[in-house]
Amino acid sequence: MSVDVSHAPRSVLVCDRSSFLDEKNRISSQLQQLHFNYKVSLLLPECSSAPSHLDSVLKSFSSFYLIRNMPIYELLDKHFLETAVYQGSVSGLSHRTRIDEENCVALMPNGRLCLSLDKHSFQVLGVEGKPSKFNHKTKNRFVVSVDLTDSSMAPGGRGYVRLLTGLRSRLHLRTDFLLSHHPGGGASLQHLLSRYDWSEHRPEISSRVLTDLSCPALLSSDPQPGDAHSFLEWLGAVDADISCENSSSSFMSSLVCPEPKTMLDKALSVSVCGLLRPQDVHRLVQQLRRHLEQPGPAPWASLTVHGFVDSPVSWGDGEHGVLIGGENFYNLLMFQDHTYHLHLATGSHDPCPQ
Amino acid sequence: MSGVIKKDESGVYQRVVLKNAAPYHYVNVCLVLEDESTKLSAVEFKQFITSGLKSLYGEVGAALAFDVLKYNEDKRTALLRVNSRGLVKLWSSLTLLGSYQNQACAFRVLQVSPYLLALTGNSRELQLD
Repeated sequence: MSVDVSHAPRSVLVCDRSSFLDEKNRISSQLQQLHFNYKVSLLLPECSSAPSHLDSVLKSFSSFYLIRNMPIYELLDKHFLETAVYQGSVSGLSHRTRIDEENCVALMPNGRLCLSLDKHSFQVLGVEGKPSKFNHKTKNRFVVSVDLTDSSMAPGGRGYVRLLTGLRSRLHLRTDFLLSHHPGGGASLQHLLSRYDWSEHRPEISSRVLTDLSCPALLSSDPQPGDAHSFLEWLGAVDADISCENSSSSFMSSLVCPEPKTMLDKALSVSVCGLLRPQDVHRLVQQLRRHLEQPGPAPWASLTVHGFVDSPVSWGDGEHGVLIGGENFYNLLMFQDHTYHLHLATGSHDPCPQ
Repeated sequence: MSGVIKKDESGVYQRVVLKNAAPYHYVNVCLVLEDESTKLSAVEFKQFITSGLKSLYGEVGAALAFDVLKYNEDKRTALLRVNSRGLVKLWSSLTLLGSYQNQACAFRVLQVSPYLLALTGNSRELQLD
């Protein structure tokens, strides 16, 4: 029997083009689709240091907490629900749990608790859920999604007691947990934090100045959506510090910058890592627009946002998983005339971004 | 590859959905050797992978074009780029490469993606301790 080995796993890339001035543009809601952002990276051409207004936004990204070995039933604590979840001020994700082999938990800002469980854990928990969309044939992973703001999940209610008993007495699910909250909302978490080993973390900022960088001619050539893969490849090469100066006959690599290309004297690459809130990313986009409006040599700016690989949700409420890689990221390329190109990229176990 | 194009009347908004259109896949690999002090240059590293392709798939495999985009000689980690149609061939021969110059070795495939950008933002690398 022969097997065709030439098929790569499924991937989807959505390319949107619109203008910030278009009333119907959905950019704000699209940026809110990724709830759990791991890394934001910027590429600013003709810039050698971040302008002060951008720098202050980057430094004002909210800090987040790591709670070690926290039982998941703590998320159902009455005090925590009332002071944080019902206010919509908190979101969180299990840390160092791999969604392709372990149980993962996410608390979304809208109060939805999402558990991605293996078959055994799901059966032990004894709460209604459904098989994962991505292995519905084998049914070895299940998703339990409950709205904690729903009346049936109010403390003391039937649904609440069932889930609490399952998590506390039967499943005993404990993981390291990352929590982020509204600026100034930290006080509401103190009650929870005081009972466990925890630490507060600031998003980590790093920046690099690149010189003599070959760059696709974005303004003069009007790149088509079909060229999106080669543009994203070039951007990845810049981010990973990979040289594009190769010849087609080179033994090691034939990676080259897409044609037509120009040369940038300098460019600034800045990245921020941590559990980053979509609201902070949105503020950064607003500042980038202001940066582009100012008279200066910067014709465009690029922003890339990577979601967490092991988040049980991505692109809104959609289920997320890992087959060969759990990529879920977007790139926003903004121009001086207020138009933008948005690329939304997903791997095999993702819904199509809207 | 397939694409769906939606365009509104004003011509300002355009959406294109590209399915399975990635021309390449990118692989982050690490070569683990029994003797940690063994040095491999980038050229030797690529030659070693090509020999693995040849032993599993013959001359056709040896002709599979792939690029070593970046190589770290100290850690023996590399970013590889391969045509999407060749991903399974490359991956399987990496898996079956078991010895380098008479010492046991193994390739650890750390990350695979149709996007090079995804390899620079892997949340599994987040260290907080």
